[in-house]
Amino acid sequence: MTSKEEVLRSISELAAQNSISKEEILSAFDGVVVSKETIQNKRLGIADILYYIGGAIVFFGIAIFVTQNWRILNAPTKVLATLGSSIAAYFVAIFFSTKEKTKNIGLAFHLIAALVMPIGLYITFYEAGFRMGGSEIQALISAILFAVYLLSFLVFKENIFLFFNIIFGTWLFFSFTSYIVGNNPIWNSNFYNYRLLVTGLTYTVLGYAFSKTKREPLTGILYGFGVLGFLGAALMLGGWKPHQKMIWELAFPGLVFAVLFLSVFLKSKSFLTIGTIYLMVYIIKITSEYFSGSLGWPLSLVIIGLLLIASGYLFVYIKNKYMPKNS
Amino acid sequence: MNIKNNLPLIFGISIPILMVIFVTASIYIPQMFVKPQYDFLYLIGNNNCYNEGRNSQVYAVVSNRLIKYTPDTIFQNCMIGQVPQLKIFVYSIAQNEGKEISFSDAQGLILDSSILSPDGFEIVNGGSNGGFFPFYFSSGSDYYTRYLQGHNISKKLNIQQGGNYYYNFTLLGWIKK
Repeated sequence: MTSKEEVLRSISELAAQNSISKEEILSAFDGVVVSKETIQNKRLGIADILYYIGGAIVFFGIAIFVTQNWRILNAPTKVLATLGSSIAAYFVAIFFSTKEKTKNIGLAFHLIAALVMPIGLYITFYEAGFRMGGSEIQALISAILFAVYLLSFLVFKENIFLFFNIIFGTWLFFSFTSYIVGNNPIWNSNFYNYRLLVTGLTYTVLGYAFSKTKREPLTGILYGFGVLGFLGAALMLGGWKPHQKMIWELAFPGLVFAVLFLSVFLKSKSFLTIGTIYLMVYIIKITSEYFSGSLGWPLSLVIIGLLLIASGYLFVYIKNKYMPKNS
Repeated sequence: MNIKNNLPLIFGISIPILMVIFVTASIYIPQMFVKPQYDFLYLIGNNNCYNEGRNSQVYAVVSNRLIKYTPDTIFQNCMIGQVPQLKIFVYSIAQNEGKEISFSDAQGLILDSSILSPDGFEIVNGGSNGGFFPFYFSSGSDYYTRYLQGHNISKKLNIQQGGNYYYNFTLLGWIKK
């Protein structure tokens, strides 16, 4: 085992050579090994924001161009303007991504490709005579996009492909299950909530799986949307009096406290913040649903207020005691 | 690939796949074991006859037999005004399709006009998947599809309605054996 002095001396030497940064040491101190490259990737400068805004404007430009000239443009031109430009943007993005200096510009082109490609596929299928609007065509388009980005990820191993893979995979999951179920009355509107529950759980587990790998930059966003979807679906499954589902209403506080407990274990502020917000929403919901009639609204508001103060205190307590300052 | 290290990843990917398998199985497996037995008689077209301020059914089941409830003279007036074409069908559960029959043939059938069939099935409209933007999925014209539902199964019926109006379909009765 290396002694403390040796470790500190090594750190000093590496720092003198500019091979290690303070952020890397601090991240190692928190139990997460994050490389310098990852930390640099996580920083979003003004230039990066401008790249993304530029990418989004290009997307809107293409969409408005096709919409305004829908009657004038013939089918090949529409396909070329949308699917063609998205394919071109995809290859330009790959070209830029190969060079370190233009890597971030490559991300902007990836954004253009991923936003325009679904529209391009829609228009291509529409012009080919497919009936649009049904879940089957959505399942087909999302499956194509999922396959394209899965292959891209397997070839290039870049996080951006994994990110779009998760988005298109989610779309595929929702559209494909809709296609299977159709309007089958056995699966009513709660089917949407169950799918949202599963999606939220999947995002959270994937976020955890990526947390100690070089896919770590995706963890925060997966945790955030995962908990948001999972608790949101659980809350909606509870319903509202007189059509409430008692089992979900009773289970919900348990789920919220499990999320708050996990926030400590995972050191995740997303878990803590979203969990606390849902706890507050639940307090308001339950009080107004069951106690506003018997206790009256003024007393109910007093109870809601006190419980919200308690939730806020819980949030601050957990954050100060268990969360690393720079996480 | 180290399975132990990638357990969370495998678990995460498995969750939606398992749900797809579960949903598919919940739809198709019960259909293999629960078999509806009773064919049924149904109408396509508007069975309501509105004439001179009075509204009545064109066809009805009385004492387990199909009758033309509206007298022919009034029915002719309805036909001019609103009813496009009334057709009577027998739906074969075994073949999963409807076959048009004449009124005189239909009169020979013994019918049970209950909502529930003798073996506990009913005909219901398709539901909605729910959801909100961007994850809302309609199934287009499929919304007016009829399903045979009961005993935790739901089977899609191949009924050509000649238009997507819910009142185009009228169940007259379950055919008694």
